[in-house]
Amino acid sequence: MSAVEGTATPAPGATTPEGSPSPTRTSWTAWARYRITHTVPQGQWLPDRQPAYVASWIYVFGMATLVSLVIVIGSGVVLALGGSEWWHTSSVGHYVNSVHLWSVEIFFAVMAIHLWGKFWMAAWRGGRSLTWTTGMIALLAAVGTGFTGYLSQTNFDAQWIGAQAKDGLNSVGLGAWFNALNPATALTLHIIVLPLAVGAIVIMHVILVRRHGVVPPIDAEEPTS
Amino acid sequence: MANTQVLAEGAGNYLDFGIFHISVTNALIMGAMIAIFILAIALPFPHHEPDDDEGAR
Repeated sequence: MSAVEGTATPAPGATTPEGSPSPTRTSWTAWARYRITHTVPQGQWLPDRQPAYVASWIYVFGMATLVSLVIVIGSGVVLALGGSEWWHTSSVGHYVNSVHLWSVEIFFAVMAIHLWGKFWMAAWRGGRSLTWTTGMIALLAAVGTGFTGYLSQTNFDAQWIGAQAKDGLNSVGLGAWFNALNPATALTLHIIVLPLAVGAIVIMHVILVRRHGVVPPIDAEEPTS
Repeated sequence: MANTQVLAEGAGNYLDFGIFHISVTNALIMGAMIAIFILAIALPFPHHEPDDDEGAR
């Protein structure tokens, strides 16, 4: 836990036990600077060394999820620029559409394997409950983004899925809040609202991972520094 | 309804186990994910020897 989260606030300009000036109460700039520099321990934003137990393939899938998410967003931006007539009719559009689809497939596959690995090593240990929670929220937000993506294909597949989703949502009483047959709502959620939510939660998740470090295996000793 | 069933019948092959109904494609993808998970735990991760005495690996 960083010093700024302690119950007692040191006097402005005082030195914390870590040896750095504490945030002053009179300047939000100093407070923001302190939070930015102390949210993650020094040297842990982009560490070049990790504990020995990280040398396992199961630790690769978090980064694989991030990489596939970057490809998902990048291909989605290209699709948004080209428009549905382009991605449905041109060969390059078909290719980018396929890149978007298959990067999503890989994204969910590696995210699920990442989840399995973290579940079986009880990754919420050692003060990492918020890391675990943001990961679960990111998964739910990503599922919502995927579902609205099905509705945004502008083809008969989207129409069929929208009709089925409409019946499902009505059956559980959610039809008053979300109309799956409204393509404008589905598209806006898919390309703006939900990607922003996924991006923000994933950034929080990564910051928390760097703040607390990757979780060690259950029988491994966690490094003290 | 009959027409939609005809369309759906050509959509792929399905496995039926009582109330459990899954396409062969989805079953294969789920099996591949489980296999990758097991391999990720079982296979050794390639790494080089530390080049100094401070190496943690």
